[in-house]
Amino acid sequence: MSRLLGVALGVLTAIGGFLDIGDLVTNAVVGSRFGLSLAWVVVLGVVGICLFADMSARVAVVSGRATFEVIRERLSPRAAGANLVASFLVTLLTLTAEIGGVALAVQLATAVEPRLWVPLVAFGVWLVLWRARFSIMENVTGLVGLCLVVFVVALVLLRPDWPALGASALDIGPPPGESGLTYAFFAVALFGAAMTPYEVFFFSSGAREEGWTVADLGRARLNVLVGFPLGGLLSLAIAACAAVVLLPAGIAVTSLSQVALPVAQAGGQVALAFLIMGLVAATVGAALETALSSGYALAQFLGWSWGKFRRPAEAARFHLTMIVGLLVAVGVLMTGVDPVLVTEYSVVFSAIALPLTYLPILVVANDPQYMGEHVNSRVVNAAATAMLVVVVLASVAAVPLLLLTGGGT
Amino acid sequence: MTRPRLRRRPRAPRPDDPTLLPAPPVAADVLDARLSLLDRQVLDVHGTPVTTVDDLELLAVGREDDASADALIGRDVLVVAVLSGPSLLTRIVGGRAPRSRLHRLPWEIVADVGVGVALAVPGDLLDVTWTERWVRDRLVRRIPGGTHDPG
Repeated sequence: MSRLLGVALGVLTAIGGFLDIGDLVTNAVVGSRFGLSLAWVVVLGVVGICLFADMSARVAVVSGRATFEVIRERLSPRAAGANLVASFLVTLLTLTAEIGGVALAVQLATAVEPRLWVPLVAFGVWLVLWRARFSIMENVTGLVGLCLVVFVVALVLLRPDWPALGASALDIGPPPGESGLTYAFFAVALFGAAMTPYEVFFFSSGAREEGWTVADLGRARLNVLVGFPLGGLLSLAIAACAAVVLLPAGIAVTSLSQVALPVAQAGGQVALAFLIMGLVAATVGAALETALSSGYALAQFLGWSWGKFRRPAEAARFHLTMIVGLLVAVGVLMTGVDPVLVTEYSVVFSAIALPLTYLPILVVANDPQYMGEHVNSRVVNAAATAMLVVVVLASVAAVPLLLLTGGGT
Repeated sequence: MTRPRLRRRPRAPRPDDPTLLPAPPVAADVLDARLSLLDRQVLDVHGTPVTTVDDLELLAVGREDDASADALIGRDVLVVAVLSGPSLLTRIVGGRAPRSRLHRLPWEIVADVGVGVALAVPGDLLDVTWTERWVRDRLVRRIPGGTHDPG
């Protein structure tokens, strides 16, 4: 019974923890401009993150080596160094976006200027990193994050024309009034939002934090294969809400309050309260994960002691990295930069940096010295190699599309 | 429980291939230092990460007095020490860091080489962890809760 409960808890946490500010904003922006015509990208992204998370968790559990130790060891010094710099900067950018996202979510509830919240939020995040137990941190943010199911409820309450909505999801291509280039740009952004590199550093290092063994591999796979697709369903519900309410009204999402509009219209104050709780939990959870990921990346690359399972004094440089990362994020947000804009850039840069971490994991997941009998099966390899093509395409296309479309405007 | 699966073994080069050099005499397991040692994680006796293998100090058997790289060519080589320091940088941009900047972990304290390099001593006793100790003693330990066990 307690075993079943543990499995259910893992899956629920994976659902609640799937969404972060990048998914929330990008799906709403895309829904409000393109309807559901980019739904296929969410599906592709979910398949990608499932493969990637499954492989990296398996590598971490079986070999005991986390993602960045593997990257350092498998790539040439130059490629590995470039990889660290790119991944670390993208993770810091995402951390900045998440902390800004928490401040915006709290602003929705309190109407207090987000910049006043930023230092408080960062301090709160640090306090959790400093003191709380890893599993408690994971489970609380994941379970409260489930409040975002309110997007699905709102969609039902909005009584959309379901057949038409379904048909629009199959209608691939830019809607009238949008160019093919902006369509492609948002496809890349949406892919980056679903497949953010930090999720993988976090998932693989988290397996070590929680002391998973080979016996837990089945459970890890279940968490990924059930939790992430259901999380992807929430992403689609966000896009659908925006498509039903905002697209016909001609409102393009540029702020978090507009993401909340369809929910407020459908469910009133109660739904809004759930939404804000879910938003705060999802962004706080992701802020914790990105802060940890910045520490994981640097510490694992340089061979430092790391992990929340150790006392802070036993992983001193790891904790110092996270403190500096949080201070940088606060500094950036205090300049008054729009957190939604930071989010939009962070997902695009995520797509750019993705192949750097994806390829080494794919290689090591096939290395018998690391993996023994747990190397990739042929089916996983075929899917993962096909996904590699997509990942590289998105990465190569991202910068030209960013410049050509002026960030999708 | 996963079923045992049939795996393709890596195809070995045919021994009669005339383009291959003759195989070296094998005294023990042959270790490709670049593949199996360089950049691997070094763990101390408690399994705590210490550093990474940034470089290796090598000595040619029979020419122990000659530390130049040329002495290694064509001879059996001993790994004398694991080096840690700014040599990742010098491996990228070229050049060589002065010896004083490199931390030596003598090979005598290495207990095992697997997917990581395991040491037989606690990391705190080694010079190479001085930055960790400095950050710990000057900063992290002084913040309230710094020595609190998280769980």
